[in-house]
Amino acid sequence: MGVILGYVATLGVYFFIYNIFAFGLNIQFGYTGILDFTVITFMAIGGYMAGVASLGPEQPGSDIYYVLGLSLPWPVALVIGAAAAGAAGYVLGLIALRRLRSDYLAIVTLAAGSIVYGVIGNANGLFDGFEGLVGVPQPLNGVLKLSPNSYTLFFLGLAGVIMAICWFVAERIYRSPLGRAMRAIREDLDVAEAYGKRTFRVRMTAMVIGCVFVGIGGVLTIWFVTALAPAGWGTSETFVVWAALIVGGRGNNLGAVVGSFLVAVLFNEATRFLPAIPGHPSLISEIRNMCIGGLVILTLWFRPQGAVAERKARFFEIPLRPGALDEAAKSVPAMATSGS
Amino acid sequence: MAADDEILSVHDLRRSFGGVRALTGATFGVGRGTVTALIGPNGAGKTTLVNVVAGAMKPQAGSVVFDGRDITGRPSHDVALNGLIRTFQISREYPAMTVLENLMVSPQGQTGEHLWTVLFRPSRYRAEERAHLERALEVLADFGLYEKRNDYARSLSGGQKRLLELARAVMARPKLLVLDEPMAGINPALITRLAEHILALREREGTTFLMVEHNLDVVEDMCDNVIVMAVGRTLATGTMAELRENPEVVSAYLTGGLVDVRAQG
Repeated sequence: MGVILGYVATLGVYFFIYNIFAFGLNIQFGYTGILDFTVITFMAIGGYMAGVASLGPEQPGSDIYYVLGLSLPWPVALVIGAAAAGAAGYVLGLIALRRLRSDYLAIVTLAAGSIVYGVIGNANGLFDGFEGLVGVPQPLNGVLKLSPNSYTLFFLGLAGVIMAICWFVAERIYRSPLGRAMRAIREDLDVAEAYGKRTFRVRMTAMVIGCVFVGIGGVLTIWFVTALAPAGWGTSETFVVWAALIVGGRGNNLGAVVGSFLVAVLFNEATRFLPAIPGHPSLISEIRNMCIGGLVILTLWFRPQGAVAERKARFFEIPLRPGALDEAAKSVPAMATSGS
Repeated sequence: MAADDEILSVHDLRRSFGGVRALTGATFGVGRGTVTALIGPNGAGKTTLVNVVAGAMKPQAGSVVFDGRDITGRPSHDVALNGLIRTFQISREYPAMTVLENLMVSPQGQTGEHLWTVLFRPSRYRAEERAHLERALEVLADFGLYEKRNDYARSLSGGQKRLLELARAVMARPKLLVLDEPMAGINPALITRLAEHILALREREGTTFLMVEHNLDVVEDMCDNVIVMAVGRTLATGTMAELRENPEVVSAYLTGGLVDVRAQG
């Protein structure tokens, strides 16, 4: 019983974390059309920065090297992680968003991700290189004195609350004139620009908010796992988030949730707990990647809008001024039929 | 026309792409409150001119003064925020947004486009949003698109997209509306209708229009003033009747402008 509970709670935590990643990518890609092919890099930056903010100072002789080591309380670490991811997104935006769009932008983000991966992996003094950070303190774990399963449940609640806040914020942006400007930019950047939208600023806003979201997801990840190493945030992880958003439905936060459940939880995380096939230790993970790839292809082929399509914008219905339609008909006589 | 009556003054605008000299010295003015046409054979540089004036491209020389401000080389959004809105030669609606939303994007300087307001003070833009919405619905009714308001813009017919393009521009309350071939590829009934809309807008809102147009009958009917371009420069300005008597203009239309202009250097 306890094992199953712990298993389900663990999946639940991953579900919430992937929701946050998918919301972040949705703001960038689904709302604004920014092809960010290095989502997971911002998860890593958020996670690492929260890690070194909450870890104590580096212990000589422990063979684990990292910067800072501030022993800060967990809410501060969360803010630091989110802010660091946002700042990194801002820097990437400065480089990539001013002049580039679509595939060229995608290439630059991919390259930037590789650079960050290489630097963090090889600079041992930063976040302990390819070994990664370990033993990151978990929020309130020392205070609550819960059993591991109970703590997982507590963490599930914490992640759920943070996920709900992110969802709320993402929806609020979507429904606002800012979200509308983002979607106009996604649809046609030149036209939005010609209609007086400061497209660079709006795209930068989307980029940074998206990165902050992903960074928050990264903070939750490093807290939950208590460790983070480059092997955990390779390029392939970016595509899990992308697959989740595409399968679920880009431009729709509910779609992001559905996609996270289908791709990130069912395919990606749940299968990690399957027993290895004897004689082929890595077969399951390869099959998993193939399945995700196949799912993306099937989605794009049969239901390109995703499982939950983007909603039509609904405005509160304002009754038209009485007679406005008649007047319009009168002012343009004999042209009641529109279009050709 | 006195310069202080001009809402747009363009002086000696030049722009080339590699070896192609698209603009070789365009100079003209657009009088406030007029409907001015910009005509010329294909390849005369009309669209390049529109792009340079509207900030989509930077000129290599020359100046653009709009409503008393030098906007030469300013980015598009800046030009638009000054009150100069341009439309595109092919209809470029926001396809996956509804017709109503296409209009709701247009109003300039919306309070609800600031992140802080969106996140922490959303009540501050509600009244403004409501006002925009009321106006958008009126404009849609005016353009005969009211019934289509909740349809995706991509589902409209070609003619309806033209109407949407104009309706969307009207929502931005421009001082000068630059239309790049608004009548291209639409049926005569709709041409009449668009023309009526344009003239009504000038009447009601005092909007000035500068339109690139190939249909000379339309130009003759609608426009107060006509600017003729050929091979990258402005040849002549005047009313259609005056221009018909101008041998240079007639030659430009018959020969693509090559003979006369090259002879003049």
